[in-house]
Amino acid sequence: MFSLALKNILFYKGRSITTFILTFISTVFLVLYVSMTDGSHDSMLKNSLKIYGGAIEIYHKDYRDIGGNEYLIQDVKSIESKLSKIDGIKLFSSRYETYGLLSFKDNSTASMVVGINPTKEIELSQLKSALQSGEYLKESSQNCIYLGSGVASKLKVKLGDEVSFIGGASDNSFSADIFVACGIFKTGLFEFDSSATFISRVYFDELMLSKNKASYITIKVEDLDEVDEVNNEIIKVLDSENLESLTWKTLMKTMVEAMEVDSIFGYISLSLFLIVIFFVIMIYGFINVSSRIKEFGVLRCIGLSKRAVFSLLLYEIFILSSLAIILATPIAGYICYYYSINPIVIEGIAQMYQDYGLVSDELPFSFDIFTIFWNICLIFILNLLSVVYPFFYINSFKPIEASRHV
Amino acid sequence: MFRFIIFISIFAQLLFSNEAYEIIKKLDENMRGENISMRLSMRVVSLRHERTMKMQTYSQGTKKSFTKILYPPKDKGITFLSLDNQMWQYVPKIERVIKIPPSMMLQNWMGSDITNDDMVKQSSIVEDYEPRILKKDENIVTIELIPKEDAAVVWGKIIINIDISTYTSVKDIFYDEDGEEIRYFIYEKVKKFGKYYIPTYWRVQSSEKKNNFTEIVLEEVEYDTEISQQYFKKSALKRFSR
Repeated sequence: MFSLALKNILFYKGRSITTFILTFISTVFLVLYVSMTDGSHDSMLKNSLKIYGGAIEIYHKDYRDIGGNEYLIQDVKSIESKLSKIDGIKLFSSRYETYGLLSFKDNSTASMVVGINPTKEIELSQLKSALQSGEYLKESSQNCIYLGSGVASKLKVKLGDEVSFIGGASDNSFSADIFVACGIFKTGLFEFDSSATFISRVYFDELMLSKNKASYITIKVEDLDEVDEVNNEIIKVLDSENLESLTWKTLMKTMVEAMEVDSIFGYISLSLFLIVIFFVIMIYGFINVSSRIKEFGVLRCIGLSKRAVFSLLLYEIFILSSLAIILATPIAGYICYYYSINPIVIEGIAQMYQDYGLVSDELPFSFDIFTIFWNICLIFILNLLSVVYPFFYINSFKPIEASRHV
Repeated sequence: MFRFIIFISIFAQLLFSNEAYEIIKKLDENMRGENISMRLSMRVVSLRHERTMKMQTYSQGTKKSFTKILYPPKDKGITFLSLDNQMWQYVPKIERVIKIPPSMMLQNWMGSDITNDDMVKQSSIVEDYEPRILKKDENIVTIELIPKEDAAVVWGKIIINIDISTYTSVKDIFYDEDGEEIRYFIYEKVKKFGKYYIPTYWRVQSSEKKNNFTEIVLEEVEYDTEISQQYFKKSALKRFSR
């Protein structure tokens, strides 16, 4: 049956070439599309995580929902000493975040002012590498403020200018100070650059009366794939009803959900394309089968069973699909691999999609063998399904009737 | 007959809305007089902290007010000036006059449960809202204030319960644009100063943070005295800070 299928493929060249080309194109297209979508989503998540987010963050309960000084972590040192004993944690640091008013001359803006440990943040975040002008913070930076490019632009501040700050200290009392603009950063995250500013914690704690207090503790893990295991260990070790330890999956839930929605819409568009391809292959198969009714009638008359006819059709599509996929897979795989290492650069795309968290003009592809495998399987299954209708069409003829068909 | 009923119903509606407006106007007059100066203390209580502030305020009409913090020593000399819905603050520690931007209007004022907007826009209950009587229960009239279409206000709705024997508020409830209750004011200890009545104890309670509240006690109140116009200039922020 296999050799007969092979002969048929070689004989009906038009149908074979069309099926081969369509299968080849749809395989390459599907693999590249999924790779690009997954790659850009991964990139957005990783960028957001790398820039400022933590793989795990520890909060006082209700801080994220209600907020305010009532829900600050109160005994940071004891928590940090517990964290230092947990395997799988690479680094951690506490941050003290507050919202205050920054003002320079006649310009004022609300800002998230964060007290950080500058040395630890070099490894925990990309604040230092996002430096645009001036210098990054040091522990001894005193009243130096490290401003997001958007904040600096709203205030029309240059390096060395004095920025006044007013806000509420950790005990809700009034706090005010003059900061000196020492550095300006730009991460590419539009909202972040437009609202965030940083001060060395040593100085900020004095001003905000926030020693041994924190808005949250951010944690970098050794292996991101083991984040859940590390988080479970943290929860066990903390053993506190007032604290919650959350992984990036929860912290970035909105972003993950937005990406899932984006993927769903992408797959819907893609499925329309695949349906068209499926029907084209099926129609070509159907036309081919229609012209071979007499042949099938003769085969049935000489004793070929219905099952054998189905096998014949299946072999034909199997051989054609396999050949197309065998050729398409390494090509598509190589393209995915190449662009996962050397991302496509589209000038201005980050600017256009900044609200969606795109921070770079690079569009990296994802190279994942499992994903490529299921893409191929999908195309293969669709191709196999395309012979079902032609098979039923042939079977609607009786063998004698079919053998006389003109 | 049908026309008569329509006429009566429109007339009744106008009468009610006019009555609501008159009540709100009298309430506002009681709260302000032609001008008013007050010395007040404010106790801010939250889950973990409690602190007390004392301050002196001067206000004239609906557009001008000046506030100076007298206590605690750490904050003494901080001054606020409100002119035509704009607000400035002077902080002696940093020797800077800072303009509070509109985006900060809903932020808490000095860590209390009142907002910057409360400091600037109290007049707007008369000018920016459409009043409607909801209920009359002996001396207490419940009025709903809905923002006028073109009004730049931060609240979606305010419900005010007014004692019409003194034209002072008993309880104000503030709702956001989604109709969710955000906070309420309770007023007690009404006293008469000249021809004006004013509650001398106010309690501001956040609806979300049940453990947080702010108590304001009016210690000294003077109506319709001559307040120097110097208080309502930007230069006053520094000048009267000392």
